Amino acid sequence: MRYALLLFALFAAAPVFGQSEPWTPAQLMKPEVLASRITASQTQNLLILSVGPDAVIKGSVDIGPTRDQANVEKLKTYLKTVSREKEVVIYCGCCPFDKCPNIRPAFRVLNEMGFKKARLLDIPKNIKVNWLDKDYPSVD
Amino acid sequence: MKKILVFLTAWTLAGVAQGQETLVGKPAPDITAPTPAGPALSLSSLRGKVVLIDFWASWCAPCLQEQPALKTLYRQQLNEFVRDGSFEILGVSLDKNRENWVRAIERLGTPWPQVSDLKFWKSPIAKTYGLEGLPFNVIVSRSGHVIAADLHGDALRDFLLQQLRSHR
Repeated sequence: MRYALLLFALFAAAPVFGQSEPWTPAQLMKPEVLASRITASQTQNLLILSVGPDAVIKGSVDIGPTRDQANVEKLKTYLKTVSREKEVVIYCGCCPFDKCPNIRPAFRVLNEMGFKKARLLDIPKNIKVNWLDKDYPSVD
Repeated sequence: MKKILVFLTAWTLAGVAQGQETLVGKPAPDITAPTPAGPALSLSSLRGKVVLIDFWASWCAPCLQEQPALKTLYRQQLNEFVRDGSFEILGVSLDKNRENWVRAIERLGTPWPQVSDLKFWKSPIAKTYGLEGLPFNVIVSRSGHVIAADLHGDALRDFLLQQLRSHR
């Protein structure tokens, strides 16, 4: 029984420390933080990019799902002229991080291109539950 | 020790239970949305059959992974019930992009009816059915009531077989 519990604990914790991610915990941005900045119009130095199925967040740019290489190239092209000092937030929201095929390729691009303030919107479940249902600013 | 195991099981299944509580036992809200060919299709037009409503999207990786199992269900395990008109699957997509939706159906080769209002998570259908994440499904009885929700794999197959055989 003790062995079974140990296995269960390892299984449950695997997504947390089982693999290294291209982002650090400090690079995660809480949805409420981004929402309050949009609401307060404090987005002059902020670029918000959707790398998932739909750009539902107000003011965000629709790159498209970056599981597709064509959209990875689109992201690189879009970022070419953007200052590396600019804060860039990417989000997907299709599903929890461990199942999302879009955020990792996109975040690697930010790292490779040298963006010093790269951020990932911290969406534990999906964009509906963690953004739309909270009435955060979205595209009508 | 038993208490700990009960807690762990309940914790694991918490998300599943949430969906079932709100839907099961109630009349299934009607769904009317365009098919890939254009004309709209309604859930109510399938009344009299047991219907598995499969909520999915081309952008949902776990949904795509589940489609081959649903095809096996439809073409093999439950095919006799499909042929005698007592069972149907209705695919309801939360896609936004029509091209992605249609291309995914073609690539997957899913033979059952498909509809989508192409409104992503803003779809009124998602709201009506209280969807909190994908994949998700609902089983509707011949009389149009929700009799189960969020069943997958062997549990889904066994439940459908039991339902379909019990009404012969």
